[in-house]
Amino acid sequence: MEIKRRHFLGHVAAGSAVVTMPAFLSGCGANQAIQIAEPIPDNPFMQWFGVDQAVITRVMAELTAHGADFADLYFQHQRSNNLSMEDGIVSRANSGITQGVGLRVVIGEQTGYAFTEDLTLPSMLAAAQTAAAIANSAAIVPPQAFNVKKTGDLYTTSVPWADVGIDQKLPLLKRVDSRARAADPTINKVTVAWSDVDERIMIATLDGHLITDHRPMTRLTALVTATKGGETQSGYSNIAAREDLSWYTSERIDSMVDEAVDRTLVLFDARRPPAGEMPVILAAGASGILLHEAIGHGLEADFNRKGTSIYADMMGKKVAESFVTIIDQGTIPQERGALNYDDEGNECGRTAMVEGGILRSYLHDSISSRQYNVAATGSGRRQSYRHAPMPRMTCTFMEDGPHTRDEIIAAVDHGIIAETYTNGQVQIGAGDYTFYVKNGWLVENGKVTAPIRDVNIIGNGPESLQRITMVGNDAKLDTGGWTCGKNGQQVPVSQGIPTVLVSNMTVGGENVG
Amino acid sequence: MSADLIEKAGDAVAILVAAGADDAWATASVSRDVEFSYRDGALEKVQDTTSRSLAVQVYADGRYSSHQTTDLQPDRLHSFLREAVAITGALEPDPERNMIAAELFANRPLDDLDLVDSEVQSLDRDKRLSWCVALDDAARKHTRVISATSGVYDGSQSSASVSSNGFSGSQESTYCWKGASVTLRDRGDRRASDSFFAGAPHVGDVPEAGVIASTALERSLVRLDADKGPTMNAAMVVDARAAAQLIGRLMGPANARSIQQGRSFWAELIGEQAFSPKLSIVDDPLIIRGLASRHYDREGISAKVLPIVENGVVRNVYVDTYYGRKAGMQPTTGDPSNRRIAAGRQSLSELLSDVGSGLYVTSWLGGNADGTTGDFSLGLRGHMIENGQAGRPVGEMNVTGNLRDLFSRLTAVGNDPYPYSGTLAPSLVFADVDFSGV
Repeated sequence: MEIKRRHFLGHVAAGSAVVTMPAFLSGCGANQAIQIAEPIPDNPFMQWFGVDQAVITRVMAELTAHGADFADLYFQHQRSNNLSMEDGIVSRANSGITQGVGLRVVIGEQTGYAFTEDLTLPSMLAAAQTAAAIANSAAIVPPQAFNVKKTGDLYTTSVPWADVGIDQKLPLLKRVDSRARAADPTINKVTVAWSDVDERIMIATLDGHLITDHRPMTRLTALVTATKGGETQSGYSNIAAREDLSWYTSERIDSMVDEAVDRTLVLFDARRPPAGEMPVILAAGASGILLHEAIGHGLEADFNRKGTSIYADMMGKKVAESFVTIIDQGTIPQERGALNYDDEGNECGRTAMVEGGILRSYLHDSISSRQYNVAATGSGRRQSYRHAPMPRMTCTFMEDGPHTRDEIIAAVDHGIIAETYTNGQVQIGAGDYTFYVKNGWLVENGKVTAPIRDVNIIGNGPESLQRITMVGNDAKLDTGGWTCGKNGQQVPVSQGIPTVLVSNMTVGGENVG
Repeated sequence: MSADLIEKAGDAVAILVAAGADDAWATASVSRDVEFSYRDGALEKVQDTTSRSLAVQVYADGRYSSHQTTDLQPDRLHSFLREAVAITGALEPDPERNMIAAELFANRPLDDLDLVDSEVQSLDRDKRLSWCVALDDAARKHTRVISATSGVYDGSQSSASVSSNGFSGSQESTYCWKGASVTLRDRGDRRASDSFFAGAPHVGDVPEAGVIASTALERSLVRLDADKGPTMNAAMVVDARAAAQLIGRLMGPANARSIQQGRSFWAELIGEQAFSPKLSIVDDPLIIRGLASRHYDREGISAKVLPIVENGVVRNVYVDTYYGRKAGMQPTTGDPSNRRIAAGRQSLSELLSDVGSGLYVTSWLGGNADGTTGDFSLGLRGHMIENGQAGRPVGEMNVTGNLRDLFSRLTAVGNDPYPYSGTLAPSLVFADVDFSGV
């Protein structure tokens, strides 16, 4: 606990945000919610958490006893399973349950927050009193009845993870292990990591809504190490989605393993590019990390209402060529970043952040949407009941442009293609952002010539947007398991992009003259 | 508190053994965390929470698994623990995974590490608010300030562990941190920003709020009008705060798991003169009031001072019992505590003066290192070193190389270990470093 907090304080507190792959590797346009009143006593989520309408009303009354603009109770139950296989056997099997309720009261820009893991009435009332201490005005009368919002269907699964035994997962891990080992005689170590999560959310809001969501998540990772001529190299690949066991077809697993093997073996021939400024071609898919770091975080409304983002005064202005459109959309079915409702109970949708080169919208949570007097964009997210929500991305991508991948490569005399990534980070105020390229290619005289590896790329958000000179017609979402960290909170995200040319970025490299 | 936690952990072990476990380990924890955050003259957020959890490790019939839960309602906890034993039975045997040997947790040090401060436990709303106001006042004392967010974070944690082969122990600590992040109006749409946070187990070891916030403001002011420096090969001076993170990157793969899995450039360095003679690193869990001090580690291994690097020679790496057995290495500890990096005699300004020209790094931005090869590439912010002094601010640059190679070119070490991190690193000077910029 203490180490986590210290890490956050030491490294991430200064208006910066990061996106990463798993640690061991080192708006949503607001649709009008359709409300269907379901008979409350039958609500399975209330039964799950052992509460009823009267209990929620009682706790809400305590929470708003000293006033509130809005308030919510966020009930969460999460069951997770993690397996890892090393040296051909399962070296780690872990299961966990986290359950609790977060209680929040908001007045203006002030938030009072508390949580409890003990879902009895006395514990919830005590936590509510703690959170309520932020306010000092008149009590609010809480709703006596809650409208149950329609259940979403973006990631409905036939068999919940809680019902899938370890015996059904082990053959998948073994498949990864044996396929990777068989791929090449130089491969001497394979680590397979598995994760599945079954999560239930129930949010009760002061304005009388009850929102429920059942969220599955799974991720499978292959980490490959090979030794050749005294040199050792490691690479990896992973796939993640809000899916169930049936998603793991043999083809899907095999193609993930082959990718991990290819990414590793190519490293023996790869080198560092020369250091300095050069054109960078972002390969379609995972290069969406550019959008996440260069613009996505900078458009999260909390940084803008505080005036700390470089984008704070750019709304409505032209920030890129007219063929650049950048979207954050929580409603792409089964995506890792997908959400039926955000963690404040607002419905997710599609937010054009940049449309035809014009900056169009921030990503809002309830606090900022009130302050800006706009509809919430369904961007209020939190890591768990232990955390207050804030504006976050879901699935961030750029739409297709007018160029082809071949045209883009042909246009570069001397530069690189960035293809796979491990992590990125941004400094919100200065706009400087980075991402770490694990695999890529050198481009010389319009041709792909040699593999490169392990270089950090750094740029400035608004400058890089202006320097997007070509956008391909091959947009795709990355299937990797990205996790975004902001102010110490981790949430799953997705990203994607077509092949894009940024005319000038600073590439980490060696062989400085 | 600890008696209650020991009882909870002991009960869990008894249930696990009754359900068929051959051996079991249980840890019961409780933590209290309070956060006051204050922005631009007003209280922004108060969070006050108490959290409990139970974590267990189950050994049954040559098989092993681990589990944790926050749902401590007795009936559900009971079925959770029985299910944990059943899950273990469904796994395949792992001959290398055994319960920790009792001699590894025998002779636990009894030093009073002074990790609990009653003043933290008695902090009240008024005290925290007064610190927030003082932080906020000092952080905003400049006309260019757009926004400043200040915070006070304090709390305590207690845990107790019990094992079926006789381990019983508890640890408790408090913490108190204060800090501020400052954003300034820079040229065009740019904002210059930085932050400074300081903390310790004892309130008395944390600087005054005004000093902390002034440091945050000063660190932000020197970022104004930063530009990209040149692509060059030059000397690099890394300030103590940033050095702690660089040492963290160096030591990331210095453990038996990475070595046994073939993913560590440290594998071939044990016993070798791997780095510059200027580099010495000790893992010291017994520092009085240390941020990462402890009597035993996560596995229960008794705390002791562990030399990692002595004058550039690798003496030890982090070895837990499982990967130690797999790799044929004696267990040391699997998880780092305080890491002390030997300091030199010179101050930062003397180091800059000796270097004459090059780049002075004050913080990192992104980047990564490959633990297998040691190859790294990091984004940075800092200053050009001009005429032996920190000159114009630079950013949007990368430094690229190989960690082993870099630390073999460590030419000087400062006298200023950074106290607000578990890694107590002084300023470091490296020769011949590749920078990318304009």
